[in-house]
Amino acid sequence: MKRSLVRVLASAAAIAVCGQMAAAEGKLNLYNWGDYINPELIDAFGKEFGVEVTLDTYSTNEEMLARIQAGASGYDLVWPSVHMHDIMQQLGLLQPAHPNQMPGWENIDPAALRSKEDPNGDYCLPYAWGAVGIFYNKKLIPEVKGWTDFFAYAKANPGKITMLDDLRETLGVGLIMTGASVNSRDPDEISRAEEYISEQVPNIGAFRYDVIALVTAGDIAAGHYYVGAVLNALQDPENLGFVIPEEGATMYQEDICLLANAPNVDNAKLFMQFMLRPENAAKNAERLTNGTVNLAAIELLPENLRTNPSINPTPEVRAKLQIFDDLGKDLRLYTKAWDRIKTN
Amino acid sequence: MTRKRNALLLLLAPISLILGIFFLIPLGIVVVYSFLEPGLYGGVEWTWYPYNYGRILGWPLNDYEEFDPIYLAIFATSLKYAFLTVLFSLLICYPAAFWVSRRSARWKGFVLFLITLPFFTSLLIRIYAWLLLLRPTGFINAGLEYLSLISQPLDLLFSGFAVVLGMVYIFTPFMFLPIYANVEKLDYSLIRASQDLGANPAQTFFRIILPLTAPGMIAGSIIVFIPALGNFIVPAFLGGAKVQMTGNLIERSFLQSRDWPFGSALALLIMASVVLVLMVQTIRAGRKQAGDAA
Repeated sequence: MKRSLVRVLASAAAIAVCGQMAAAEGKLNLYNWGDYINPELIDAFGKEFGVEVTLDTYSTNEEMLARIQAGASGYDLVWPSVHMHDIMQQLGLLQPAHPNQMPGWENIDPAALRSKEDPNGDYCLPYAWGAVGIFYNKKLIPEVKGWTDFFAYAKANPGKITMLDDLRETLGVGLIMTGASVNSRDPDEISRAEEYISEQVPNIGAFRYDVIALVTAGDIAAGHYYVGAVLNALQDPENLGFVIPEEGATMYQEDICLLANAPNVDNAKLFMQFMLRPENAAKNAERLTNGTVNLAAIELLPENLRTNPSINPTPEVRAKLQIFDDLGKDLRLYTKAWDRIKTN
Repeated sequence: MTRKRNALLLLLAPISLILGIFFLIPLGIVVVYSFLEPGLYGGVEWTWYPYNYGRILGWPLNDYEEFDPIYLAIFATSLKYAFLTVLFSLLICYPAAFWVSRRSARWKGFVLFLITLPFFTSLLIRIYAWLLLLRPTGFINAGLEYLSLISQPLDLLFSGFAVVLGMVYIFTPFMFLPIYANVEKLDYSLIRASQDLGANPAQTFFRIILPLTAPGMIAGSIIVFIPALGNFIVPAFLGGAKVQMTGNLIERSFLQSRDWPFGSALALLIMASVVLVLMVQTIRAGRKQAGDAA
């Protein structure tokens, strides 16, 4: 569940983006994933409202939760994935920001209200979503339609593919290929998924997040990766491609949430309103090459993004995307399976 | 006398405070956590839960699990890579230390500077550089292909080879410095004496040089072995996370698996094996001292 360059580097990095104003009227402290917001928007918000904005970054939901739970104070807004939004709301770490009463809410795709705890958008503002698919180098593998092609190529060219070093994502592919839900709690289904992935392991070069450079250079032919790679594919469409696998794939969505102990509640709400503006949502989606949840923003996207089947997929493709639920204690089933996959 | 003692206490206070606050208390927390139940979203439940250690040994936690000592297998892998790292860095540093010790003072200073030079750059960046060197289109493969020594790129990256290479690279200075300090002080008149008394080169080496330089080798080996055993960055980057060491398992337990108690138990397993190594060494050194005195 991450898109930043290097996990460890990103978690160490804390970028402070300060508004130009010497005498800022107030502050706003953001805690977001690495590389997960267009920096121009932060500058623009700071200038428009005279607010000094700081941005710290994390690279996993768990890392963010651990810090918030440990009492990291001073942050106003966080960007949890939907299942983490549910957890944080249950733990009482959030307060309602009522984005559903803000101007522009009507543009938010009702399908993006994915949180089970927050079905009406009383707490958090849906932010962005994307599929997890396959990023590939066309010089080595001209066409990939799905996981079957991906693994068939690996069988013929061992070591030339990578999968994400994420137990839910990679076992999720096994579950999809064995016809189960990616949120299965059935030990038999999970063990079939484990078996499926274990069979591929000898042909998988590495489990890695950071594969853009390796695919681009042709060190590996294809990597299991987030839709953000479309940015690279669009820069070099001759050689690079991204596909949402036809067998189905996982997807992620993050929401912007207001922390219960946020020191700058008013500025945080202003920021949500700012992000609700279609032109800002579009500017962000353009930079992240992510799916946007703002229906009015889709019209504002450049042609090559609006018509991109990975960024703005058809309803049929969307129907095959599954989002992760939190599994609570049943996560153990996956942990052990993952440990075994990695040990063989 | 009491004034002397008070002064000593005052001198020891800072280090005791630092060790107490930043070492003993965290260690105590790790020990306590390893006997608690994992919290649902990380953290712990304050319930007595001794099963984390059983799990390391492979005992099944519930009905659908079977006895499966994978965590011991992963630990064995860690031991293997740590030993290989010690072995290769020893093979590199031992002759190098002799070579450096025979240079002029200016040369020595320069070589020692070169050996500590890597510490000026972040470890992650240096590991990343190895990734660029070893990858199929990297400098090493491109060079070999240019020289027509290979026709297909070698699979250097994401392998056990890359992991050992990376760790040897990181830990070589830690091996070199203690050996060098030892070799530097080596009394060459003893070597000449053994030669004068008719020992052949092998005898001189095994009966004079090796015993005299053993303390440096042992110190270097321990200093390398300890961090190598718990390393997780090198297997994650250069092993492509397919090579798995206990350090990776600990990292995953705390983050992805949200099982802090199990991670704590694994951390203590590593620590226990390190303490074991140190104890063996202390006992041996103690015996040797006793032997020397007698």
